[in-house]
Amino acid sequence: MSKTILEVIDLKKHFFQRKGLFSLGGQQRSIPAVDGVSFYLKENETVGLVGESGCGKTTIGRTILRLEKPTSGRIIFDGTDITALDTDELRKLRGKMQMIFQDLDAALNPRMRIREILNEAITVHHKLTGAEVDKRIAELLEQVNLKKSKLSNFPHELSGGEKRRVGVARVLSVGAQFLVADEPTSALDVSIQAQVVNLLRDLQKQLGLSFLFISHDLRVVELVSHKVAVMYLGKIVEMGMSGRIANKASHPYTHILWSSLVEKQSREVGKKAKSVQAGKWGVFDFERPLEGCRFAPRCPVYEAKGGPDICTNAASEPVLREIEGGHQVACHFPL
Amino acid sequence: MKSYTQISGEIGEFSDLPFWKKADDIDLAYVGYGLFVVTLVILSYFLGAFNLLPHDPQDINLELMMAPPLTSGHLLGTDFMGRDMLTRLIVGIQAYFLPGLLAIFIALFFGTVLGVLSGYPAKAGFDTGITYFANLVDSFPRLVLILLVIAAFKPDIYYIMLVVGITNIPAVASHIKGKILFLKQKNFIEADIALGLPTRTIILKHILWHNCRSILIIQATLGMGEAILMETSLSYLGFGVQEPTPSWGNMVQAGSNYFMKGQFWPSTAPSLAILFTILGFHLLGDGLNNILEGKRNK
Amino acid sequence: MTAPLLKIEDLRTYFYSKSKQAFIRSVDNVNLEIGKGETLGVVGESGSGKSITALSVMGLLSAGPGVITGKIGFKSDRVQKNLLQDLDDFVKLTMKDGKVMAVQKDEDGWQERSEHRMSKVRGKEISMIFQNPKQSMNPFMTVGRQIAEAVQLHTEYKSEQAAKERALDWLDRVKIDTPRLRFDNHPFGLSGGMCQRAMIAMALSCEPSLLIADEPTTGLDATIQSKIVDLLAELKADLGITTMLISHDISIISRLSDTVAVMYGGTVVETGPAKSILAKKDDQKHPYTSALLTSIPSAENIRGKGYLQAIEGDVLDTINIPAGCRFYGRCNRVTDRIRERCERQEPDLREIAPGHKARCWLYFD
Ligand SMILES: Nc1ncnc2c1ncn2[C@@H]1O[C@H](COP(=O)(O)OP(=O)(O)OP(=O)(O)O)[C@@H](O)[C@H]1O
Ligand SMILES: Nc1ncnc2c1ncn2[C@@H]1O[C@H](COP(=O)(O)OP(=O)(O)O)[C@@H](O)[C@H]1O
Ligand code: SF4
Ligand code: SF4
Ligand SMILES: [Mg+2]
Ligand SMILES: [Mg+2]
Repeated sequence: MSKTILEVIDLKKHFFQRKGLFSLGGQQRSIPAVDGVSFYLKENETVGLVGESGCGKTTIGRTILRLEKPTSGRIIFDGTDITALDTDELRKLRGKMQMIFQDLDAALNPRMRIREILNEAITVHHKLTGAEVDKRIAELLEQVNLKKSKLSNFPHELSGGEKRRVGVARVLSVGAQFLVADEPTSALDVSIQAQVVNLLRDLQKQLGLSFLFISHDLRVVELVSHKVAVMYLGKIVEMGMSGRIANKASHPYTHILWSSLVEKQSREVGKKAKSVQAGKWGVFDFERPLEGCRFAPRCPVYEAKGGPDICTNAASEPVLREIEGGHQVACHFPL
Repeated sequence: MKSYTQISGEIGEFSDLPFWKKADDIDLAYVGYGLFVVTLVILSYFLGAFNLLPHDPQDINLELMMAPPLTSGHLLGTDFMGRDMLTRLIVGIQAYFLPGLLAIFIALFFGTVLGVLSGYPAKAGFDTGITYFANLVDSFPRLVLILLVIAAFKPDIYYIMLVVGITNIPAVASHIKGKILFLKQKNFIEADIALGLPTRTIILKHILWHNCRSILIIQATLGMGEAILMETSLSYLGFGVQEPTPSWGNMVQAGSNYFMKGQFWPSTAPSLAILFTILGFHLLGDGLNNILEGKRNK
Repeated sequence: MTAPLLKIEDLRTYFYSKSKQAFIRSVDNVNLEIGKGETLGVVGESGSGKSITALSVMGLLSAGPGVITGKIGFKSDRVQKNLLQDLDDFVKLTMKDGKVMAVQKDEDGWQERSEHRMSKVRGKEISMIFQNPKQSMNPFMTVGRQIAEAVQLHTEYKSEQAAKERALDWLDRVKIDTPRLRFDNHPFGLSGGMCQRAMIAMALSCEPSLLIADEPTTGLDATIQSKIVDLLAELKADLGITTMLISHDISIISRLSDTVAVMYGGTVVETGPAKSILAKKDDQKHPYTSALLTSIPSAENIRGKGYLQAIEGDVLDTINIPAGCRFYGRCNRVTDRIRERCERQEPDLREIAPGHKARCWLYFD
């Protein structure tokens, strides 16, 4: 059994928004972007994280990397608790864990040539001589499959796929073992998405990387992940091996996500999925109208059962329960 | 009729031209003119230092008061005390240049520091403090502030420029802060932090040098123009650079008394000098900004 | 086959890159046809010229040189007209080896004549919905007012009250919940999906004969995307509206289109009935289309393989269009028989089966 590289325990991240303009200490609205999330990640493994826009996926990634200070909970990376590290220790940590940002341009300073960008990244954590740096750059280019001629270009002269490759190379250059990949393909073209997905898989095999793979594209997540976690309003509502989540989803929300794939709709839709899909769509907001299960306002099962009290009782908010072989669901009436 | 021509049939992979070649002609013209003005300023110091001025700027000649331009020995004529206009015009810029630089330095340095402090770690308290400072400064008419300072100390151009510089701090700070927030929004700074870059590299190199230099250039060139204008208005109140030291402001002011009598040159010459100099600095900033920022991705 | 409502022939729309002193050949010889009552799906990677084709039809390009040649036949009220008629008076082209190397264009003259013609067509006969609904609506006006104003301008409902009723009717048709309430909302008060619905209502409220929908679902959440697609499908069934649907998402195209055009590097490389183009079999298809179909992460493409079949190489940069086939550098079906031609000479768009055209030497002899 390979060892656990990352463990997240009851992680919470609440943002606070001031209500009025001048209320310094007064009224604040709290946005529980991440509200009690636990999972672990083994070496050489990919965990996929799916959910609608704004449900807190990116926030989880950023908090794990300690770009945000967690409100509560613990993050254990490679055996050490990193929840309360100071700035200096954090900088050292960055040599081991990295993030690929959703925005293609995030990692690319528009005024620096690709060579300078990589050079800077390589020398952050390692003191290397000029020749060693060149060697490392060549190695990285080969790993991400980028032409050497691009080194003298500025970022705006690259195509989307090439920008993503540079981004990946920059992240690899520090020698990180664990990567958070935040929607690494969503800004790319269809034909390029496949290249990047394959690239990340190859790198995982070659270098033994572990990924937290964030995406709203269920298909991509299913393809690349060993395990999948489905998120709704800051909580994981279902988690399990990716094949199981894809074929035997138990949470009503996961069902809706799957059946909303346009690809599926054009074909025969299973009866169960259809009845689920008929559910009505309320507004998606962190200000919850109901207590208890946060999916209740949109839940077709809740509606079909005539609004059972257990779903909306503050005392009985559903928690993740194992239903079979590592497959966990947070719902009182799993499908 | 507009025409577009492709020069070569085959284009190299990415044959980006060097920035001055792809710059707009108009921008090059702007910068050219701006540099010309700057050269004139430097020339003025040079002439002064090596005693190459046509006359002594303080040299009073009561025989030849208000001589019109092209009078023998006086290309631009003389003023009401018979002093050579051309010489005073050349020396006049010196009244502003160093004090102006002081104002610019104060505004840019402290503005940058405050901008970074309020934008980068984004401590809410800091930001609020700076906003209050900006509001405080903005709520005082600047001229009133300057008059207060003059009244308290003495009418010295350096005191005036000190106030001009300080009152410009909030504008610079808010520009810098805006840029930082923009970069933050694009996750740009975050990516740097995530990589583990030291804070000083992020701020000095990535933020200030790579992304804020055009803001600084614009603010600097605007600041120089502003310094000149401010002194001119104060001269009208008699608080500008004090006679007999020549400044364009006090020259315009002194000359304007004679304007209605048809003796236009003592006020027109410095007015035009002010106009073209300010224009020069503005165009310099504008052109440099356009060229460096490259309207290339337009 | 019904008579085409819109027929684009040999359309070229260029931009000019000053820094590279070269043309960006965004739309380079596009040929398209949409029959009355049909939905034409236009697929292709970003930068392949889909949006620019649409904007050229609408006469909405401001950057130069813009549209330089072509014919856009449009049939309105049974009168056939060419939206680009007589505009070529304003353009002089210099060609070399069949490539446009210099353009002289009287942009103001063109603009004036084109505007004169298009102002009667735009909004009334052809309307368009954009990718980013929030940015294409006026932020300072309520959603309802914007729709009502369009109704007043383009239809016979001239009175304030009638236009308002009509606008409410349309908001209801696009299934906006509580239309009376939403009527008074400003665009920023609506979610992305709702804003797109309002945009669709606005476009349809003028009862255009042609609707151009440019990436109507891109950027929306998967669950909301599927709702918008449902809505479009329903509107199509109910109103029989002719649509040009632009998207890079093949699943959406396959759900809604009757015919499909595949664009690559500024030109159409294949057009034909949706069934045959999106079919899984490779034989009678442009190599780019088949590669595109196998590279999307769909159930079939994933099953059992564990990886995706990627198209190697990069999206074609339309500033640097090669002499031969545009897809040559990435194509994996070049045979020795045709290699020479693929490399040197661009294939034209030829019929390879009834109603099915492709630009590929494989099918010509
Ligand atoms: N700095 C912040 N201040 C206040 N609210 C925030 C902040 N960052 C994120 N949020 C809120 O937290 C929630 C979760 O955001 P997050 O970026 O994690 O979503 P996501 O699941 O990654 O969505 P997407 O798919 O759009 O990337 C959102 O409602 C967002 O508005
Ligand atoms: N105003 C413009 N100036 C220069 N190039 C442009 C302009 N608008 C679009 N382009 C270029 O035209 C090409 C086609 O763009 P577009 O039609 O928007 O692609 P898509 O198929 O993604 O809709 C792209 O390469 C784009 O960069
Ligand atoms: S707990 Fe109840 S409301 Fe929540 S998802 Fe399950 S059935 Fe629906
Ligand atoms: S013409 Fe040749 S290169 Fe082009 S698509 Fe056909 S086989 Fe491939
Ligand atoms: Mg996100
Ligand atoms: Mg587009």
